[in-house]
Amino acid sequence: MDTKRSEVLQGTLDLMILKTLHALGPLHGFGIARRIEQVSRDVLQLNEGTVYTSLLRLQQRGWIAAEWGTSENNRKAKFYSITKRGEKQLQVEAENWERISDVIGRVLRIEGERES
Amino acid sequence: MSSRREFTLRAVAGKLLGFLRGRQHDSEFDEEMQEHLQRLAERFVARGMPEEEAAAAARRQFGNLTLLQEDRRELQTFLFFEALWRDLRFSLRTILKSPGFTATAVLTLALGIGANTTIFSWIHSVLLNPLPGAGQPERVMELESLAPSGEWVPTSYLDFHDFRDHLKLVESMSLAQPMALAVGDDVRVERVWGETVSGNFFDVLRVQPDIGRFFSGVERDDAQNAHPVAVISHSFWHSHYNESASAIGAVLRVNRTPYTIIGVAPKEFHGSMAGLSFDLWVPATMYGQLTATGTWMLEDRKNRMFRVLARLAPGATLGQARSELASLAGFMAKADADTNEGMSATLLPVWKSHYGIQGSLLAPLTILFGASGVVLLIVCANIANLLLVRAADRSKEFGIRVALGASPIRLVRQLSTEVLMLAVLGSAAGLLIASWLSGSLRWLLPLTEAPRLQSGGLDSGVLLFTAALAVAIAALASIGPALHATRDNVTETLKAGGRNGTSGTQSNRLRSLLATCEVALAVTALIGAGLFVKSFYRVKSIQPGFDRNQVAIARFNLSAVNFDAQQADAFCKHLRERLERQPGVTAVTYADYVPLSLGEGSWEDLQVEGYVPGRSENMKIYRNLVAPGYFTLMKIPLIEGRDFTMQDDSSHPPVMIVTREFVRRFIPSSSVLNRKVYGWGKWFTIVGVVQDSKIHRLTENTRPYFYVPIRQIYRPETDLAFYVRTLGSVNEAMQSMRRESQGVDAMVPASGVMPLNEWIAGSLFGQRIAASLLSVLAAIAFVLASIGLYGVVAYTVAQRTQEFGIRLSLGAQPRDVLRLIVKQGLRFALAGTAMGVGLTLLLARSLKDFLVNMSADDPLIFTGTAVFVIVLALTAAAIPARRAMRVDPMVALKYE
Repeated sequence: MDTKRSEVLQGTLDLMILKTLHALGPLHGFGIARRIEQVSRDVLQLNEGTVYTSLLRLQQRGWIAAEWGTSENNRKAKFYSITKRGEKQLQVEAENWERISDVIGRVLRIEGERES
Repeated sequence: MSSRREFTLRAVAGKLLGFLRGRQHDSEFDEEMQEHLQRLAERFVARGMPEEEAAAAARRQFGNLTLLQEDRRELQTFLFFEALWRDLRFSLRTILKSPGFTATAVLTLALGIGANTTIFSWIHSVLLNPLPGAGQPERVMELESLAPSGEWVPTSYLDFHDFRDHLKLVESMSLAQPMALAVGDDVRVERVWGETVSGNFFDVLRVQPDIGRFFSGVERDDAQNAHPVAVISHSFWHSHYNESASAIGAVLRVNRTPYTIIGVAPKEFHGSMAGLSFDLWVPATMYGQLTATGTWMLEDRKNRMFRVLARLAPGATLGQARSELASLAGFMAKADADTNEGMSATLLPVWKSHYGIQGSLLAPLTILFGASGVVLLIVCANIANLLLVRAADRSKEFGIRVALGASPIRLVRQLSTEVLMLAVLGSAAGLLIASWLSGSLRWLLPLTEAPRLQSGGLDSGVLLFTAALAVAIAALASIGPALHATRDNVTETLKAGGRNGTSGTQSNRLRSLLATCEVALAVTALIGAGLFVKSFYRVKSIQPGFDRNQVAIARFNLSAVNFDAQQADAFCKHLRERLERQPGVTAVTYADYVPLSLGEGSWEDLQVEGYVPGRSENMKIYRNLVAPGYFTLMKIPLIEGRDFTMQDDSSHPPVMIVTREFVRRFIPSSSVLNRKVYGWGKWFTIVGVVQDSKIHRLTENTRPYFYVPIRQIYRPETDLAFYVRTLGSVNEAMQSMRRESQGVDAMVPASGVMPLNEWIAGSLFGQRIAASLLSVLAAIAFVLASIGLYGVVAYTVAQRTQEFGIRLSLGAQPRDVLRLIVKQGLRFALAGTAMGVGLTLLLARSLKDFLVNMSADDPLIFTGTAVFVIVLALTAAAIPARRAMRVDPMVALKYE
C-alpha cells in the first residue's frame, strides 16, 4: 500500500490513456496497453492491469465513456472513447504536465551542475 | 487534481451503482482482464514461447489480479460499509470463537443493563411521563394548599373557586380527586376507581375524546348534584362495552345513581395521577350525591379534600405563578380568617406532587437509580478488563495486522465493533430481563388498596434509553483497550513473540486501575446497602404502641353504596355481632382509620378548656373515630377513666378519649377527666386517657392524638375499617370477614382484607424497598467486582509464571511467591476500599435524610464492609496465588 508511488504512476497513466484515446479514437484495454508499450518502448515498465483501474477512474470522472463491442479478432470487448470533458481535461493536464516536467528538468539540471 | 480521495458527485454515484451491482461488476471486470491476459499469452506463444511459460509471462506483465480487484472495489463501493460489514462478520466470528468470554461479558452486561432499564422504566412511568396522553404536560402543575405548620393539605372547593377566578398567570385550573366508586346494579357491583373532576378537566390536560364528548358548558356550572354524566376510560369501554359506539348515551349506575356516559377518553390517557389508571370521570359537583352528604361539603371552606391541577398561562414561569398564588392565598388568609388564617398555597411540578405514588417513590427510585448506575460502571470496568486481557492475548494478532498495513483506526474500529456487538447482545438479554420485570413496579407499593398500576412497560423512551446505554458502555469499555492496542509498538510485540516475562506494563497498570475502581464502587454499593438494611431493621424494631399480631382488618366504603349514617350504623352493628360469634375470635371493633396508613388521616381544629394556644399554634389535631373495644383489641393500655360504650351514640353527650401526649401538651395540671374539648361545633367531655401509639408512621415523633366514639361523629364518606382479633389463624378470620359482610349486605364489598401485620409492613415499604433492592444491587456489584479482581490477579499470575519459575529455581520459597501475589491483591483491595470509603463519605450527606435513627457514617458498617471486602479480595487473590506456588520451575522455564 505504498500510496505515494502509485499516485504519481496513476496520474501519469491517466494522462497517457487520455492522450492515446484522443489520438487513436475508441480502443479496448488491450489495445491501449499495446499502444503505451509501443510508444514507451522499454523505458516504462507497466503492470498492464493498472490500465483497467485507471480506465475505471477516468470513467467515473466522466472523462471517457465505455461501450461493449466486438474486437478485430471477433471477440467481445469493451471499447473506450474520450468524452468532451475528457478532451478539456487532457488539455489542462497536458499543459500541467509540461509545466511540471519543465520545472523538474530545470531543478535536475541545477543539481547536475553542482555535482560536476 | 486527480487525487484518490476526490469525492465528486459522479464518483459517489459510481460507488452507489457499484455497491448495488457489486457482483455483476466483479464478473465484468474479471472478464475484461481474463481476456487481456489471454491475448497477452497468445502474443507470447506467437513469438515462440511454450504455452505454460507464456501464461506465466502474461501474468507477470499484467500484475497482481487480486490487488486490482481490490482497487476496483474501492473505487466502486463505499469502503466504509464494506469495512463495517467485514468488521461485523469478523467480530461475530471472534465472539463465537471464545464462548466463555462472550458468555461472561454478555451475562455481565445483561445484569447491568437489565437492572438499569427496569429502574429507568419505573422512573419513566412515574416521574418522567406522569401525565401520558396529555398535551404539553410540562405546563401542568399541582396546586397544594399549605397549612399554617407548612404541611401540605388538600384544597377546599371554595378556595379552588377563588384561585381559579383570580389567578392571571394560570391559564386554567381543575379539580381532580381520586375516589373508589361502586359501579353496577343490584345484581353485580364492582369497585371502580374514578376521579371527580371539574368540567374543564380535559381542557386543562388538553385531551380529546376518542368518541363522544367531554363535559359541556352547562355541565361545568356550580349547580350541585345536577349533572349525572360520566366519561369512561378506553379500557373500561373495551371491557364493558366491547368498544361499541352505543356506549355513548348508555346508563351506568354509579353509587346507586344512574349516570349517562357522554364520552370515552383516548387509550393513552389514564387520569391525572402518575402511574395509576382510572376508569371513570364524573363532575366534582356530583360529590355530595356520590357520597350521600348533600351539598355542605362543597360549601364549607374548611372542608379541604380536593387535589388541584393548574396549567400555567403561556409565557408564565412557575416561579411567577407561584408568587402570584402565594400573594392571593395570603390575601385569602386574611379575608377568610375564620377558616384560612395562616394558610398559604404553592405550585409544584406534577412529578413532585405529594399525592399519588410518586411522592413515596421519588426517594427510593432516586437511590435505586444511583445504585444501578454504580453497578453499570462496574460492568463497564469489568468488560474493559476482560477486553484488556484479551487484547493482551491478541497483541500478536494486532501486531501482525499493523505490520501488514492495517491502520490503527481500523483496529480501534474493530475493537469497538466487537464491544458494541457484545453490548447489543447484552442489551437484548437485559431487555428480556426488564420486560420480565415490567410489571414489577407494584413491588414498590405497599399492599394497600389503590387504583391499578399502569405498567409503563418498554415503550420507545425506555428502548431509546437502553440503546444509549449500550452505546455508552461500548464507548466507555473500549477506550482503554483501544488506546492500548494502538499504542502497542509493532516491532516490540512481534519480537516478544509470546514471551511473557514482563509484557505490557502499561496495560497492567490500566487493568490494576480498573480493578481498584471496581473494588471502590463495590465498597460504596455495599456500605450504602448496609446503611439501608440497618436503618430498615432499626425502623422495624420500633414498637408501634399496639399489638399488631393475630389481628385481621377489612375495609368497607359505605358511601359508595349510598348508606346514610343510620344504615351504616346498622351495618356495623350486625357485622360486629356476626363476627363475634366466629370461633376463635376474641374481640371485634371498628374505626375509620387504621394506624400506620400512609395517608395522613383526618384532623380536627380543637379548643381545649383552660389551654391558651400560642400565636399561630397548630391546633389541628389528628384523631380516630373508634367503636367500643378498640383499645382492648389493640392492647393499647387505658391509663385513666373508661373506654367508650355502645351508649356513646348521637343521642348521648359527646365524649372523648385522649392520649398521654395530648394531656402533656394541653392539660398539664390536675384532673384530666371531665375536662371539655371543643370540636365539630360542640363540646366533648374527656372520659379517658390512653397510652401513646404510632399514628402515621413508625418513625414519627409522638404527637397529641385523640379518639371519639364513631357512633357520635360518623359520616358516611369516612372510611370504615373492621378489626378482628383471633386466637386461631388470621387467614380464617379474614375469610370470615369477607363471608359475614356479604351475609349482612351483599352490596357492600370488603376491600383491603389483610393481616394488620402486613398493613404495617406496608407502611415500611419505602425502607424495605430501599433495603432489599439495594442489597440485591450491592450483591451484584460485589460479585462483579470480585470477578474483576480475581481476573486481574489470575491474569497477572499467568503472565508471570515464567518469572515465578525463575524465582523458584533461584531458591525462592513457594510462600515468597504467595506473598508476592497476595500483596498485589491486597494492594488493590486496600486502595479500592480507601477510595470506596471516601466516595461513600462524600455521598453520605445526601443519604442522611433516608436513614432513621442513625448517622450515615455508621462506623460499624464502614469497618465491617472494609474488612469483608479485604478478606474477599484476599480470597480472590489467593486462588491464583496457590496455583503460582505450585509452579514447577522446569515447566515454567520451558513454557514458551
